[in-house]
Amino acid sequence: MTFFNNEIMWFLDWYIILILGYAILIMSSYLVLAYLSTKELRSYLKKNSFVDYEVLLTSEFAPKLSLIAPAYNEGFTIEENVKSLLSLNYNNYQAIVVNDGSKDNSMEILIKTYDLVLTELDIHYKIETKNIKGVYTSRNAAFKKLIVVDKENGGKADALNAGLNIAQYPYVVCIDVDCILDKDSLLKLAKPFLESHGKRIIATGGVVRIANQCIIKNGRLVEVNVPDVMLSRIQVLEYLRAFLLGRMAWGRLDGLLLISGAFGAFDKEIALLAGGYDTKTVGEDMELVVRMRRYMLENKLPYTVCYIPDPLCWTEAPEDFKIFKKQRSRWMRGTIETLSFHKKMFLNPKYKLLGMLSVPYWTLFEFLAPGIEFIGLVVTIVFVIFGLLNWHFFFLLLLFVYTFAVFFSVIALLSEERTYHKYPKQRDFFKLLLAAFIEPLYFHPMTVYAALVGYKEKIMGTKGWGEMTRKGFTKK
Amino acid sequence: MEKLWELYKNGDWVVPFLIFSIGFFITASVILYLLIIESRSKNIRRERLRAEYNNDIDKIMSSVIFEDVSFNSIKEDKNFMVLFDTVFFRAVIMESVINLHKNYEGAYAAKLEQFYKDSGLIRDSFKKLKNLKWQVKCKGITELAEFNITTAFDRILTFSKARNKTLKITALNACIKLAGTKGIVHLAEHTDPIDDWTQLNIIGAFKKHDIGDAKGVELLLESQNTTVIALGLKLIKELKLTQKVPYVTLLASQAPNNTIKYEAESVIQALTV
Repeated sequence: MTFFNNEIMWFLDWYIILILGYAILIMSSYLVLAYLSTKELRSYLKKNSFVDYEVLLTSEFAPKLSLIAPAYNEGFTIEENVKSLLSLNYNNYQAIVVNDGSKDNSMEILIKTYDLVLTELDIHYKIETKNIKGVYTSRNAAFKKLIVVDKENGGKADALNAGLNIAQYPYVVCIDVDCILDKDSLLKLAKPFLESHGKRIIATGGVVRIANQCIIKNGRLVEVNVPDVMLSRIQVLEYLRAFLLGRMAWGRLDGLLLISGAFGAFDKEIALLAGGYDTKTVGEDMELVVRMRRYMLENKLPYTVCYIPDPLCWTEAPEDFKIFKKQRSRWMRGTIETLSFHKKMFLNPKYKLLGMLSVPYWTLFEFLAPGIEFIGLVVTIVFVIFGLLNWHFFFLLLLFVYTFAVFFSVIALLSEERTYHKYPKQRDFFKLLLAAFIEPLYFHPMTVYAALVGYKEKIMGTKGWGEMTRKGFTKK
Repeated sequence: MEKLWELYKNGDWVVPFLIFSIGFFITASVILYLLIIESRSKNIRRERLRAEYNNDIDKIMSSVIFEDVSFNSIKEDKNFMVLFDTVFFRAVIMESVINLHKNYEGAYAAKLEQFYKDSGLIRDSFKKLKNLKWQVKCKGITELAEFNITTAFDRILTFSKARNKTLKITALNACIKLAGTKGIVHLAEHTDPIDDWTQLNIIGAFKKHDIGDAKGVELLLESQNTTVIALGLKLIKELKLTQKVPYVTLLASQAPNNTIKYEAESVIQALTV
């Protein structure tokens, strides 16, 4: 029995050290990334204060962009969303709306509102997609930038691929049709494509922010507010942390694996050479970036991916747990699928920083973290049942993690305050500060649970997105 | 070393480490919170001050523009001079004068330029050129170019050869505003590649400042640097300089590579059809 007790004590000691080591590693990595992000952000803002985007507006040499916006059952908002796509501050672009077999009246609304007629376009079908029923353009010269593709339902990735086939310009901008874009978003997204220093810019992405309770007028965001609903409010904070303190650093290191599906631009030629969007995954945005990077590395082509810290795109965050769970479990499935498709890259020096740092980081801290946290919870319960838990140590560890989470959120708030200052109202600031205290106890367990559901769905072979209902924005 | 290993092995460090870390996170959070509060109140204070200053500045500038009041008369007001010695007030008045100058032309613009010189704001701009920070240099360059201070041309021209791209673009824009093509012909000797963004800015500056005299643009076509040749071609095409077609034709026949040859031919086609 003594031997058995000794074994348990030995296991306990090592378990605690391992968990603590993992926590310290994850926290240190967050701090290092936050430091790099802050440096990069300051440098960007300094440079950007002297940038005149007008030169892109007036020049025929501005990069030509094809916007691809997949739409599925968006009948309620499609008219306004397309109007906002057509009124962006940019000249050299076309907007391709892909109706992905909607069951509602989206197509009828589009045809009627924009005076669409079937057209014969010279399309090169480089990627196989579901059957395209028709391609429409407008008879009205005011909508000459608009192309509407009506196709059979095949999912978001398939709709994006249809758009890639039809796009006539060298750069494609993939967006969620229900997102609110900043009026200068295309100018900012296009600029990096002109700045290559011997390296081909294969993709650019911008910051996505939460628009719940913000005021929208004529398809443009006119007033920024912090949501009253705690779930979406915490997501405001979460997005600030992820975009301002995380992705900015990965951009600086040139190890970015993900450009948000809500708004990102790609070099069409490379996207096609890499094979386009993968329809077998629900994480098609991340998967495409990884595959494009992999293509460039395997072919020894110098390249880079750019990241713009300006808030270019505003999206609606889920306000109830059911929808939130669906979204996050899908994100986890997407992560698992991407990492498993590209497992060859894991710790493979051939893939440089991507293989040696980005992929292991995502594996260890994005994919495995919820599982490790769950194991931690189970072990803690077992310890409590068998009376093995050192309560003093347990509370210290809990406080250690909690105070770090609050500390990190406050860093994000300071970073936002000193840079974009999008939440000037005192009330909004205190709402976010309160969210920082509540987040580790209320929101974090929910994300872990949703991620575990994602694990389960992956194991059970669940496919597809599931229904994602949105409430819609507050309009003025 | 052995002691450290022992300490690690017996786990005695864990609790003190956790307590220290918790203390550190709490203290750091409080400090960051105070920094946010300080930053917000500083912004509020600055905005309030800016609004107050703008009221006074609007009155002064209106008297300068519409009532021909000189700076010598303005400086008799001791309250104004006390304010004028503060850095923030000078920054606000500089912004205001620049904005007005952008909106006015002719005699009104000339009065603003005179005010800029008489008030000594011009000295501030020249001082900025000596600053070690590139962003301050950029500010100085922009100010001097806005008020057409041609005497600053040579100094600004040196910055157009800087390694820092933002400084380089700002200086090139200023040089173009101050001296037209003279501000860019030196690029013919440039050895580093000029990226598309810089090229677009140069073309933008020509269009923005309505530089009609394009004398010397053809020199860019003789450069050994293909990106400079591409810039020359783009300038000729965008500014529709039909008088330069013979130079482009010559380039097309002796192009250093196929891309340039193709670009030259497309420019000829665009300008002659």
